[in-house]
Amino acid sequence: MGVVVKKVELNWLDRTYVWPVLMGMVVTLRHFLKQITTRSSRRYTVQYPDSKRATAAGYRGLHELKRFEDGAIKCVACFMCAEACPARCITIEAEAFGDLNKDQGFDEKRPAVFKIDMLRCIYCAMCEEACPKDAIWLRTDYEQASYDRLSMQFGKWDLMNTYAALDGKPRITRDPTPTVPHQPIQT
Amino acid sequence: MEPLASLLHLMPETFWMIAKVVIVFLGPLTLAAVLTWAERRGSAMIQDRIGPNRALLFGRWRLLGLPQLAADGIKFFLKEDLVPTDASPLLFWLAPALAFVPAVMGFAIIPFGRSFSEGGHTYHLSLLDPGNGMGMLYPLAIGAVAVYGILTAAWSSNNKWSILGGMRSSAQMVSYEIAMSLAVVSIFMRTGGYDPQQIIAAQSGLWNVVPQCVGFLVFFTCMFAETNRLPFDFAEGESEIVAGFHTEYGSMKFALLQLSEYLHIVTAAALIVTLYFGGWLIPGMADPPVLLSVAGFVLKLLFFCWVFIWVRWTIPRFRFDQLMHLGWKVMLPLSLGNLLLQAVLMYRRG
Repeated sequence: MGVVVKKVELNWLDRTYVWPVLMGMVVTLRHFLKQITTRSSRRYTVQYPDSKRATAAGYRGLHELKRFEDGAIKCVACFMCAEACPARCITIEAEAFGDLNKDQGFDEKRPAVFKIDMLRCIYCAMCEEACPKDAIWLRTDYEQASYDRLSMQFGKWDLMNTYAALDGKPRITRDPTPTVPHQPIQT
Repeated sequence: MEPLASLLHLMPETFWMIAKVVIVFLGPLTLAAVLTWAERRGSAMIQDRIGPNRALLFGRWRLLGLPQLAADGIKFFLKEDLVPTDASPLLFWLAPALAFVPAVMGFAIIPFGRSFSEGGHTYHLSLLDPGNGMGMLYPLAIGAVAVYGILTAAWSSNNKWSILGGMRSSAQMVSYEIAMSLAVVSIFMRTGGYDPQQIIAAQSGLWNVVPQCVGFLVFFTCMFAETNRLPFDFAEGESEIVAGFHTEYGSMKFALLQLSEYLHIVTAAALIVTLYFGGWLIPGMADPPVLLSVAGFVLKLLFFCWVFIWVRWTIPRFRFDQLMHLGWKVMLPLSLGNLLLQAVLMYRRG
């Protein structure tokens, strides 16, 4: 294998070393003056806890389980997200609810338990892709940290309220329609 | 001056001496502390960063990151003072002092303002009065002593990186000292004396930097070697010998070593100003007022301190053999040639 050795011929001015150093100092001075006269809000560095960068349009941050206007969860517990999840971090337990079956002959399904292990989640948004009801979104929050592992297990109500404050929606802790116990799903 | 002195029941000379000691000791020390801030913020600006700005004074004021100085000071004082088990304890404790004392002493000869007379007394604005017989030989001698601090720190640490750093830096200092001294000698020849007041007075027409531009270049370069600054910072070297001579140092001992480096910068800048840029002289003013002359000196001093920082963040460091090559084969002949040229010119002028 041949190696091309690049020979740089310096002219006498460059060989004095003094001139290139002066030119270099001009470069650094230019940077210095430019940076010192730039307002701190326009510098490259974002002063993180004080000011935060807006996330990009397709950013995949913390999940949200979407809800209808009456507060009912959009999720129908179809397990598509759990199947799609490459990190296997979604745990769903389904339940039947509502009294629609009396009139229409079928039950509705929703998750009784919807758990995401945020320590396992890789934020790939495969669940968002897989969801037929647009019930799970990955949104803008990237600040997830806690002092213990247990608080990184997000349950159904955690996930439904993750962006409540941001969107100005009320925090909800219970479903508007009661659960119907001991009633098998009709096929 | 006299009312102030009589207020303290002191002779005016004694009072002035004490005042000068305070100024000459605390002035450069404060400047050195501020230089650490200037270096961190300045380098940040040069590299399009922001630099330390999170320390708050009383939890409220940022002041452009200046509280960082206080934070660092407090941190250094409160840290555990470790001495490695295999280090030589006496020398290990002695080394920071050995580095610090010469660094503070160097400034004593520098006149930082015009001498003035008041009430029959003449007051000189330098710690050592003119005509003391040492003149500008004194800072050169003190500068040579500074090497012992580094070498002692390196030797006592009992660490191979430390000793490598110390050896490198002492070799560098010794070899650049010759070129530096020869450059200064040609200044002495131009002036016809080696007292700083004389040197400054001789520059009233034209600053030495113009006729002695080669000498200035050599002296300036050697000052970087003497102060162990980039591009010649061979006492340290993160990639090869960790922190060099102060690898094993922590807490206030480390702070002293670091502070003495910045004190060297202040002294070096003062030497450059005195020897080549007319000291406290102000161009276009034959006899400036005392305060104005001090201000002129301080301004020049600050500029050259900034140049030291500026150059550091511009040029990458040399390889050690390149450094030795530059010292012995470029700087020494240049300095010697400059001296001979000066001698020939003086001989022809008669």
